Amino acid sequence: MTKKIFAALIALIICLSAVISASAYTQEYVIDYADKLSSGELEELNLFAEKLETAYGVAVLFCITEGTGDVTADEFASETYSDYTDNENGIIIVHDDWNNAYCVFTSGNAEETFTNAAVDSMNDAYDLNESYYGGIYACYNLAMEYLENGYSGGYVYESEEFVYAGESDEPKTENEKDGVSIIWLPVSLLIGLLVGFIIINSVASKNKSVKMQENATVYTRPGSMVITGSADNFLYKNLDRTEKPKQTENQNK
Amino acid sequence: MSTILEQKCPNCGGAVEFDVGAQRLKCPFCDTEFDITAMPEDTANQVEQINWNSQGAQWGAGETDGMSVYACNSCGGEIVADTTTGATTCPYCGNQVVMKGQFSGALKPDLVIPFKLDKKAAKEALKKHISTKKFVPKSFLADNRLEEIKGVYVPHWLFTCDAIGNANYKATKVRKWSDENYNYTETSYFEVYRSGNIGFDNIPVDGSTKMPDDLMESVEPFDLSQAVDFNTAYLAGYLADKYDVTAEESMPRANERIRQSIIDSFRETVKGYDEVENQGANMNVANGIYKYALYPVWLLNTKWNGENFTFAMNGQTGKFVGNIPTDKKAVTKASLLLGAGIGAVIYGLMWLIELL
Repeated sequence: MTKKIFAALIALIICLSAVISASAYTQEYVIDYADKLSSGELEELNLFAEKLETAYGVAVLFCITEGTGDVTADEFASETYSDYTDNENGIIIVHDDWNNAYCVFTSGNAEETFTNAAVDSMNDAYDLNESYYGGIYACYNLAMEYLENGYSGGYVYESEEFVYAGESDEPKTENEKDGVSIIWLPVSLLIGLLVGFIIINSVASKNKSVKMQENATVYTRPGSMVITGSADNFLYKNLDRTEKPKQTENQNK
Repeated sequence: MSTILEQKCPNCGGAVEFDVGAQRLKCPFCDTEFDITAMPEDTANQVEQINWNSQGAQWGAGETDGMSVYACNSCGGEIVADTTTGATTCPYCGNQVVMKGQFSGALKPDLVIPFKLDKKAAKEALKKHISTKKFVPKSFLADNRLEEIKGVYVPHWLFTCDAIGNANYKATKVRKWSDENYNYTETSYFEVYRSGNIGFDNIPVDGSTKMPDDLMESVEPFDLSQAVDFNTAYLAGYLADKYDVTAEESMPRANERIRQSIIDSFRETVKGYDEVENQGANMNVANGIYKYALYPVWLLNTKWNGENFTFAMNGQTGKFVGNIPTDKKAVTKASLLLGAGIGAVIYGLMWLIELL
């Protein structure tokens, strides 16, 4: 919750500073080869991206084009990124408006932050907006959220939630760090009481020493037992098969 | 008509008693000791015949059933006892008397195991028995008073036979294995049959209705190799009863123990199975003979909270038995404390495993 408030505050500050310091950006982050954005929209978006780079050290570029020429989409994205920034840590999302296709290139530690799920989410946000400006703006908002989570807590976006991607090979959620649930305390006490009751009553039962003898084995004449007939006949067999419990995905997190 | 016999010291005329330490008769007045065989079984001047009480209108019909009246040879006092009493003490002069007719003719025991342990040993055994038990009410320890202690020769029937029997068992073998996806459990069922012979020697069955059967079986076993031919002199100083349960009436109990012995003994030959369950047994007895013997037992009676507690000690081996009351509050308290401790340990271990 604290992180969300903090992210919202940063977003607010960035937005306000973008408005206040209009036309103050020094680097082009949004490349509009398709002429889909007005100059004012370009300025606002570039300022937003510039603040992100300043805050998190990651360049977030967005390119709208109509075709990639005689190079592949991947080559186009890589070359465009190199042409517009020297930052080793960054991402560029290329939207081929003519073919309605996307291509993403990531560099440096941005590869960890912008997971496949994160990129898909950004593309979805872009698609859902009717205007190009609104779509790109939504992408930058999501990028800021991903960068903030990775920057402050080492969390990355996976499958619609943020998971811990710290140093441990076996990632743990915050709930698992809480230890044994308190619900196990009464269960443990109940088991303990049951065991205690059995032990104490077993000791107390030794106060009763009067009982009938079960047999007369002690009066057996030594060496008198002779087995004259013996048979062990197989009757039938039962085979029970039970499925092994499988490990679920949640158990691994 | 009944007769009583007193073992008198030929030296001073005092009543003699059987001494467990010396295993001889001893006069407590002049300390003279005698061999058992030196004492006459019966002499004319030691025997006084008395009439059954025929007290006319004072006793209604059936009121004297189960009762016998004897006159003490020493003081002439009237000794009232039940019809099975074989030896007792005169309540007036303390002389030990034996009702001779209770052990004569067909009623004569074949064997007697003389007392090896005395009254003092029985008292010590009682203290030890109580002190080693847990959760005994404190008031039982503090207020417990020994009401009575008596050495009793208890009549037993001893059954010797060759048992021929068979037993059936249901047995199972369990095999477990697993593959990548499943766990398998294969249970194989078998019908097992065993037949054979077992010999039994001198299985005792309590021949007195006065003695609780479970108490008498609890002090078993007795070592019959130390038994001697019956002589009334061994009864001096102790109580004794003649049997009031016949050999025929005792046989079902002996058969029951033999049958269970066959099941248990044959069961030990059924091997290689994970579970064996008895399905029934049949048996016949051959060469069956029985003997009549007196076994030495110390009986100790205590009273607590208005309830009588009877303890018994094997007068030969010293095996001591007897139920002791349990302090239910102490049991509950201990169960709760131990349970809470175990519960805390379990929860702590869960934390430890989680943290590791």
